[in-house]
Parts: sequence; structure tokens; C-alpha cells
Amino acid sequence: MTSPHRTPDWLLERIALGELPPGELAAARARLAEEPDGLARLAALEADSRATLETLPPARVAREVEARAARPDAARPFFRRSPAWGLVPALAVAALFVVLRPSGQVETGVAPGNGPEVTRIKGLAPRLVVHRQAAAARPERLADGAAAAAGDVVQVGYVAAGREYGVIVSLDGNGAVTLHAPEEGAQAMPLAPSGTHALPRAYELDDAPYFERFIFVSAHAPFDVAVVLAAAQALSGKPDASSAPLVLPGNLTQVSLTLEKQE
Amino acid sequence: MSIDVEAYYRRYGPQVLRRCRFLLRDEEKAVDAMHDVFVQLLRYQGALKDAAPSSLLHRIATTVCLNKLRGAKRRPEDREDELVLQIASAEDTESRAAARGLLDRLFGRVPASSQDIAVLHLVDGMTLEETAREVGLSVSGVRKRLRALSAVLQELELEAA
Repeated sequence: MTSPHRTPDWLLERIALGELPPGELAAARARLAEEPDGLARLAALEADSRATLETLPPARVAREVEARAARPDAARPFFRRSPAWGLVPALAVAALFVVLRPSGQVETGVAPGNGPEVTRIKGLAPRLVVHRQAAAARPERLADGAAAAAGDVVQVGYVAAGREYGVIVSLDGNGAVTLHAPEEGAQAMPLAPSGTHALPRAYELDDAPYFERFIFVSAHAPFDVAVVLAAAQALSGKPDASSAPLVLPGNLTQVSLTLEKQE
Repeated sequence: MSIDVEAYYRRYGPQVLRRCRFLLRDEEKAVDAMHDVFVQLLRYQGALKDAAPSSLLHRIATTVCLNKLRGAKRRPEDREDELVLQIASAEDTESRAAARGLLDRLFGRVPASSQDIAVLHLVDGMTLEETAREVGLSVSGVRKRLRALSAVLQELELEAA
């Protein structure tokens, strides 16, 4: 539930849009400014809006909306996928533990079309996909903020959403920075443009406390791994390392997923 | 009222997408639902007289997502997620004719569903007064509607006890 001492998300949206009666808007802005993270939340929301409009351009969305509206049934069934995961048993190493997988390709998909004239929007922002090897046969998808523990074997994957180059790093509660992809070379790895793709190795979490945070940095053009590593090193060990964005050039998109470490 | 979908999306699309993400917890489904929200606006623009589009779109997104969650099998990831699922799956006779009811509710021909109200109040943290204003009902009307979801509310009362 929303804390009464924190501006709720719905009100933050109205503040950002300025869609409140003038007196209420002024009061809401004043309350927000007094909250410890109030203005930072507003800035993050505005940054997210800019990123959404970049990832899902208005003209393209409008075309898709108009195409859907022209169909007799406005609601379209979801396109369902069935990932096929193949984590193999782990072998211990010092910190993050490496597991070889037979294939980095997990899934690709194209939404079923409703006629040749319809251009289906993939409609995805770049994102991380993390699964934990479970006792059961099917790995468990981990959401941002999920609890994890030392010894958990996790498989990291990405959705490029049209980005062509990427780097995946992680930060942990000990301040350690780990490069997950690319495995070698000074340049960001070429990305598969669509579908969800797992990295060729899975990892066993070590006993670093507090958190393990994976960050996926991507772009449409090649870039240096060193840029991302330097930004990660600069953030590591800071109080907000589990949540703050990396300081990166404007042409780079970043998304992160943090696992909360349990004792 | 004529709608320029591109202009509406440019201003309200990110808000709608965040709302869908919050309720659906799945990026692909959220993007899909976001498009459907704007489809509702486009197809029924003739009936749109809302002076506060952000409020209307918030409600449309809530309703669209609840309709998509109904019957969906998900593992709740946190208490808010569980609460949304409880509300979405609760018996709400007003919402059974989801498609017709959705459009009627959106354009004010009948009051908002109890499920929409429950999400606004219980999940979004709106006060009864804010919820009432959001859906155009009196506070007592909102209370009455919330009682319609007795199973969910009883469970919440047991948790709070």
C-alpha cells in the first residue's frame, strides 16, 4: 500500500502533466519537494517518459493504434511464448560461478499478423531477463527486487528491442563490478535484434551482501566496454549503487535489475 | 471531440505505459495493453468529453489491465501484485460483460466498476474522497461499491486483524 507520507504514483503523474486544479497542483508540488526523494522521483518519471517516446515513437504507435481500431475486435489476444530453458549444473568458482550452456539462443518470436498491411510493433524497451535455476524443472523468472541468496544459479538474458550493441555488467554489495558480456574484446557485443537471448553462461551468486544488480547498456552504434566499466566502477560502493543509474553518454540506453540478497 | 492519437500518445502514452506495467508486471503485455487503451480512445472519440485526460486514461488503463488479468495465472511477486490479482479475480457481476461495461463506464453511462474502484483505493492509495472524485461518485457510493467486493475486503480485514 502507498505510504501516506509519500506522494502516490498516480498523483506524481498528474503533477508531471500539470493536470490538477491550480491550488491542488501547487500544494502537491510543495509536498513533493519536501519528500526526501520527491524531486528525484519526478525527474526519473520525466526521464522514463522521454525514453518511452524514443523507444516507442509516436508516429509508429499511432499507426498501430489506428490499425487495431480498424479491426472489428479492438482487443487482440496476447502473443504467448514458451521459453525453453536449458541451464546445466553449476561448477563452483570464487565469486560468480560460471556454467556453460549449449546455446545462447532462448527464444525468438514474431507476433502473428492480422493481414499483410499491418505492421506489428515489437514494442519493447531493451530489458534484462533473469531466471533462477529452481529445484523444479522450470527455471523461475526473477523480477526486479526479487530475493536471492548466495549459491543461487542465475541465467541472465536480454531483449535488445532493436538496439544493435550491448554490454552487461553487475554490481554487488561488496562494491565489485563484474563484466558479463561481452566475454572478451574492448567493444560492446553485437546484439540479436529481436527475441530474448540468454548469455552463454549462467552464474552462481556469491556471498556479497545486500544486492546483486545487473545492468544492460545498449546502443544503435558500437561503443567501448570501458565506458560502461568506468561508470560502474564510479557507482560501485556508493550508498545508491543498488538503484542509481550509471552516468553514461546520452546515446547509451541502460536498464537494470536488482536482486535483494538474503542472509 | 476529435482525437489526434499521435498527440495524445506523445503527452499521455508514457503515463499509460507505466500504469500498464505496474498492473501487468510484464513489459510485452504492458505495451500491448497501452495500445489497446488508445484504441478505446480512438474508437469512441465521439463520446469523449473529458476535461482531464490523464484521469480518464488512468481509469481506462486500469480497466483494460484488470480485464486482461481476469483468469490469468500469475505468481504474485509482492503484496500489491497479489492485491491486484485478488481484485481482478473477485466476483463482480457488473464486470461480467466486460467489453460493453468497459465502454459504458468509461464514458459515464454507468458508474465505474467496483473492481476499478478497489484498485484506485486499495492499490493506488487514493483516499475515499479522491477515489470518489476520480470516478464521479459520492464517498458513500464508493463505500457501497467496495462492499460489492466483499470477498476481497473480508480477506484484507482478516489480514489487518
